[in-house]
Amino acid sequence: MTATLTGIPPAPPAARPQRAPGRGTRGIARRRGLSTPDTLRTLLASLVLLSLAWGAFGGWVATVHSSAAQSLVSVDEPLSLDARQMYQAIADADATITAAYLARSQPPLAQLQRYQNDIATAATDLSRLRSGGDSAAAGSALAALSGGLPVYTGDVAKAQTEYAMGFPLTGGSFFQVASEQAHLVLLPAANTVFTQENAALSAESGDATGWLTLIAALLLAVVTGIVLYRAQRWLTRRTNRTFSPGLVFASVLLVISVAWLAAGFLTARSDFGRGFGQGSDPAENLALASIGVQQIRGDAVLNVISRSGNNAFADDFAKTSKLVGPGSGSWLGEAATAQEPGGPGAALVAQAEQEATSWYAANSSVYTLGNKAQYAAERTSVVAAAPAGTATGYDTLEGRIGAAINADQGVFQSAASAGANALSPLAGVVIACSLLMAVCCAWAVSRRLAEYR
Amino acid sequence: MAHAEHRSRPLTAALYTVAAAGTAVLVAACGSTARPAQSAGSAAVLAASSATISETGSSLLAPQAQTWAAAYQRANPGVTVSIKSTSSGTGISAASAGTADIGASDAYLSSGDVVQSPTLLNIALTVSAQTVIYNLPGLSQASHVSLDGQVLAEIYNGTITMWDDSRITSLYLNKGLDLPHLPIVPLHRSGSSGDTFLFTSYLSTQDTGWDSKIGYGTTAVWPSVPGTAGPAAAAGEAHSTDMLNACVATPGCIGYNGISYLSGALTGHLGYASLKNNAGAYTLPTAPAIQAAVASFVPLTPPNETVSMIDGPASTGYPVVNYEYAVVKAVQPDAAKASALQAFLRWVITTGNSTSYLKNLGFQPLSGPLVTLGEQQIEEIHS
Repeated sequence: MTATLTGIPPAPPAARPQRAPGRGTRGIARRRGLSTPDTLRTLLASLVLLSLAWGAFGGWVATVHSSAAQSLVSVDEPLSLDARQMYQAIADADATITAAYLARSQPPLAQLQRYQNDIATAATDLSRLRSGGDSAAAGSALAALSGGLPVYTGDVAKAQTEYAMGFPLTGGSFFQVASEQAHLVLLPAANTVFTQENAALSAESGDATGWLTLIAALLLAVVTGIVLYRAQRWLTRRTNRTFSPGLVFASVLLVISVAWLAAGFLTARSDFGRGFGQGSDPAENLALASIGVQQIRGDAVLNVISRSGNNAFADDFAKTSKLVGPGSGSWLGEAATAQEPGGPGAALVAQAEQEATSWYAANSSVYTLGNKAQYAAERTSVVAAAPAGTATGYDTLEGRIGAAINADQGVFQSAASAGANALSPLAGVVIACSLLMAVCCAWAVSRRLAEYR
Repeated sequence: MAHAEHRSRPLTAALYTVAAAGTAVLVAACGSTARPAQSAGSAAVLAASSATISETGSSLLAPQAQTWAAAYQRANPGVTVSIKSTSSGTGISAASAGTADIGASDAYLSSGDVVQSPTLLNIALTVSAQTVIYNLPGLSQASHVSLDGQVLAEIYNGTITMWDDSRITSLYLNKGLDLPHLPIVPLHRSGSSGDTFLFTSYLSTQDTGWDSKIGYGTTAVWPSVPGTAGPAAAAGEAHSTDMLNACVATPGCIGYNGISYLSGALTGHLGYASLKNNAGAYTLPTAPAIQAAVASFVPLTPPNETVSMIDGPASTGYPVVNYEYAVVKAVQPDAAKASALQAFLRWVITTGNSTSYLKNLGFQPLSGPLVTLGEQQIEEIHS
């Protein structure tokens, strides 16, 4: 219940025991020689401004985190996916078309369509990345891809023409030129884009869940709370009223908005932590494993078509297969460790690990055959389906890794969306509370002020 | 010798640097307003006037490279160009490792080489062809046995063992030849050889059985040919000269060698075959037939000049033709070496490709577009 001073003369300040000038509103008033109405007006303005400042800053903090989270879910994660998919599409296109012509001078339509689909996918991803990416490093890599992709497809088209005209060796040399373009220009550039987009994803994650701005907002909330408390105490001493309901209500609103902000932030942080730990991070390791598998496959195909006689590819196979895994510290191993227990990704990664082991065993004979100049057997081992060749194993392994990536992306999407949803209403809550706080403060102090008219 | 050349390189570079610095100081002292481009031009001239260039590789190209080196040294007295006849594989390895400035190769760079050393260039120097030689006593050199890839594959896999086999005598003009009842001794190269790459490529294009069982490459798993091949044939010949000498010494032999060894083969009383091309015509490795074969590939040749021209579409073309390549690192240890290489290679693909330099060994000049592609690649050489 609120008691008013209407009709009752305000207690004369002079009648109250005088105290030495001290801290707080009264102290300031004394030092500045302000009358009580002047002090109340100053208090009113201060409380309203502080409430609005809390709303503005707290709302801004919530907006920054929320928009970073939304960007993470709707921009950065899709761009990272596009970058991975673009690499995969280019690598698969090159391995598919080259192996198809190595196997038969008139390849089956399905293989040609797979190549065409890969190129179309790469072009679409490239277009999206060009319109969505903003880093300089990725920009130059994207420019290299934009310029290099038509050169690559042009060389492939020349190779296909030569094959169609009955000149397989000339066609083969064009496939060699095309594959070198893919290996030396396109795939390194695609890898750069993938790395850059992953870095952007991590940076955006930092923006969405960083502590600094939240702590600053909480400090402002603490300052606002202290001022509200001291204002109530001053009013109590000056007006003989125990409570100022308006200021109490404003304090409650402050507590609600701070609690909502902190809880929303912590919930989002937890969701993002789960999304990255069990979704994005293992998906990135799986993407690296996929890139490694594609490198192994691409090198083997290139080695056959160019009759390399060079041990570089065999050495690379040994190194890359160790990086891919399975095993502790390998990309597949790390992805397996990070999987959500019992989740769909765990089983898929385990299958990919098994498939990788048997595929390596089949691949290990490829370079041995080449080094012994057993070219026909080498070609069969690269282009034929299992059990004679490694082509089926590659498709199966890539399929398993791709499915595991999709499962992990699902985990990330779900968790990150939950995090973003937890952050999205915060700005509105904080701003609404701050406006109500301002109204409550204005109402509370103006009623005391009215007693002096 | 290679070590000596290697040791002299830093000294040459140092002398060049001192000379270039001295020139620059002199120019500055005279208050010249020479632009950097002019200084670079002076450096190139200076580099070309005192440099050592080492080349190793293809034994097929080696005689021609010797001719070029001698002529270039006469025109540029301060320049030393050393040529070492080894093999295409050795040439590529030496250029890649930096133990030679130029690796000569009959085959373009493999992807393994390119991916491992992305700065390697293969610059076409001239046009070559491969001959199929044989030793058939009593057969006039004016007559030429007609052969195709299928019959050659059957000879090299041991299915056809005698020269008077009906599968040989029934071919084209062979009906008019009195081919002897003599065992065929197929010779091949040992080690990594550009000649083997070209020869097995031809067999692979014309014989699906060879392609599916043996394939093509700088080395091959040669099928054993029982009862006919002596130790030399089984082991293979290390160089083009060895192939020539072995065939001269072995009646009934058949082998393959570059066009530059054709005059030696004729001197050794060997014959050479007319080969069936993609259009079904039998052609000899004459200048018009080689040029016709290459002409259809000129517009197709990519900027890095990697192209296989085996069994091409020209109806009058000889089926086994190729570019001879200089394998060079685009990034050289110093500006003097880069300039010296640029000057020498430019000379080879222009002045050195005139008929007067090529006619004795049977090579054919590069056409205008190929010279342009070569110059573009030479421009990429820098320090």
